[in-house]
Amino acid sequence: MLDIQDLRAEIAGKEILKGLSLRVNAGEVHAIMGPNGAGKSTLGYVLGGRPGYTPTGGSVTFAGADLLEMDPHARAAAGLFLGFQYPVEIPGISNVQFLREALNSQRRARGEAPLSGGEFLKLARAQADALGMDQEMLKRPVNVGFSGGEKKRNEMVQMGILGPKLAILDETDSGLDIDALKAVGEGINRIMRAPDKAVLLITHYQRLLDYVQPDFVHVLDAGRITRTGGPELAHQLEREGYGVAA
Amino acid sequence: MISTHQLPTPRLEEWRWADMGALRAAADAEPRDFGIKPADLFLDMEGPRLLFVDGMFEPAHSRPGPVTIARFAPETPHPLGSMAEGEGWALTLDTGAAVTGIQIVHLGSGGESHVPARIMLAEDAVASVVETYAGSGWANRITQMTLAHGARLMRSVRLLQPDGFVSIRDEAEIGEAASLVSVFLGAGGMGSRIDGALTLIGKGGFAEMGGALLTSGTQKQEAAVSVRHEAIEGTSRQLWRAVAANRSVVSLAARVEVARGAQQTDGGQSLRGLLLDRGATVNLKPELEIFADDVKCAHGATVGELDRGALFYLQSRGVPEARAKALLTRAFVADAVSRIGEEAVRAAFEADAERWLEKGL
Repeated sequence: MLDIQDLRAEIAGKEILKGLSLRVNAGEVHAIMGPNGAGKSTLGYVLGGRPGYTPTGGSVTFAGADLLEMDPHARAAAGLFLGFQYPVEIPGISNVQFLREALNSQRRARGEAPLSGGEFLKLARAQADALGMDQEMLKRPVNVGFSGGEKKRNEMVQMGILGPKLAILDETDSGLDIDALKAVGEGINRIMRAPDKAVLLITHYQRLLDYVQPDFVHVLDAGRITRTGGPELAHQLEREGYGVAA
Repeated sequence: MISTHQLPTPRLEEWRWADMGALRAAADAEPRDFGIKPADLFLDMEGPRLLFVDGMFEPAHSRPGPVTIARFAPETPHPLGSMAEGEGWALTLDTGAAVTGIQIVHLGSGGESHVPARIMLAEDAVASVVETYAGSGWANRITQMTLAHGARLMRSVRLLQPDGFVSIRDEAEIGEAASLVSVFLGAGGMGSRIDGALTLIGKGGFAEMGGALLTSGTQKQEAAVSVRHEAIEGTSRQLWRAVAANRSVVSLAARVEVARGAQQTDGGQSLRGLLLDRGATVNLKPELEIFADDVKCAHGATVGELDRGALFYLQSRGVPEARAKALLTRAFVADAVSRIGEEAVRAAFEADAERWLEKGL
């Protein structure tokens, strides 16, 4: 589904990713762990197409297409979802407006008919319920005044509504209390654990991995994958730190 | 014809950003027929309707109800307002009377037109007025308002002329516990100058004047509003949003004056500008002049670009860039337009802003 070959990328002229290769097949959950500054968030943003995160070498193929050639919105329409470490507050646009606009933009790009207001609300309410998010929050401006946990739940509600093929979740566990962590973990399993879907979890700690069992764990250090293993590698890293594993 | 010496010059501080050249060009322009049907300029609402074409009342497209037509010359120190003499309209409501959904449409074909207006609301009277400017030429208007104890007036004004110039002068005296809310939307291609002088003369009055000015190309729009608190416990709000694209300019000057003894005044000013392109300009000039010691005057003035983080967030969810910019810009002006109380009017103004965004971005 996702094939990254020797990816290099820079921010403001500084090389952050230095030849990263990774292959994610449908049905798999991969965790990328690593110390601060290793390039974990940069990887997410480069795959999402954020301006300022410039690929300088290598290739990324997603669902058979050259991902790096696509505009950010086209990547979303192709089935890529980027969960933000710090979801952005947008005053003046309600969650419902935002998500309906997003979903229907994606549907139009794929040649599908847009959902009506009623159809969309039904879908949005079901996803909010499943994540334990208050229905009232759907009417509120996007993430404005939300707590850290509420913002992350909102990311998962968005993921549920948009139904991506591949979710890249950047530090989705940061700032979560234990209830929110459990809800988010269950959300990821419910929405993304399917034979035709895949997940790339970017995380500093292994605690989310108690709820979402990865098939593969990778260590990202200084812009490269330095080690790959099974779920047991996450526990080892938690015990021994990144210095030992790398 | 206007003569050059009648127009204010940019040497005067109050007129430093004014584009009197554009005003003169609009006044001198040859008449043009835009093929606009007057009926299309009225909102689908019950209530009195008045059409002015090139400043002349058109009875055939009007049903004035309690609004009267008369010739008068308003007394005002304002240089443009004082030119607005001739045939105009007046609304006078007795104690407790209510007339809502009054629509005034100004359609110009070129040249200059001058229309004075007067609104006098007796105790507890209620009125709402929607004005629409369309067509071409220089439309010069003055509206003088007097609100007695407990009277309430809601004004919504939209400037939609594709070219030319619109100059508006508002003068209001707001009595005890009376309330005036005026919301302006500049979403056409014309130049504009919106002037306001609101005075709170009775205890506990409320005065609000604000709106959104959207410009593109080399267009210039501006508003210069002054609210004067002369009585205690008055509240005033000036909430303006400026959106400038290409090489256009929006200028906002907002002033609050609190007279000696006008204690417990609550004055609020929020001026915000959004620059859509590097060549665009937003000038903001907030001013406070306070001669009382027990007052609250919150003020904020900021100019910036669209939040890049928010833009990428929308794109990452599948919204194309142009649409994402339009959504964020709409959100930026939303709180100005949301001050309009009547839903049908608010929806129409939102649709006007949306049309501008679809075209302007």
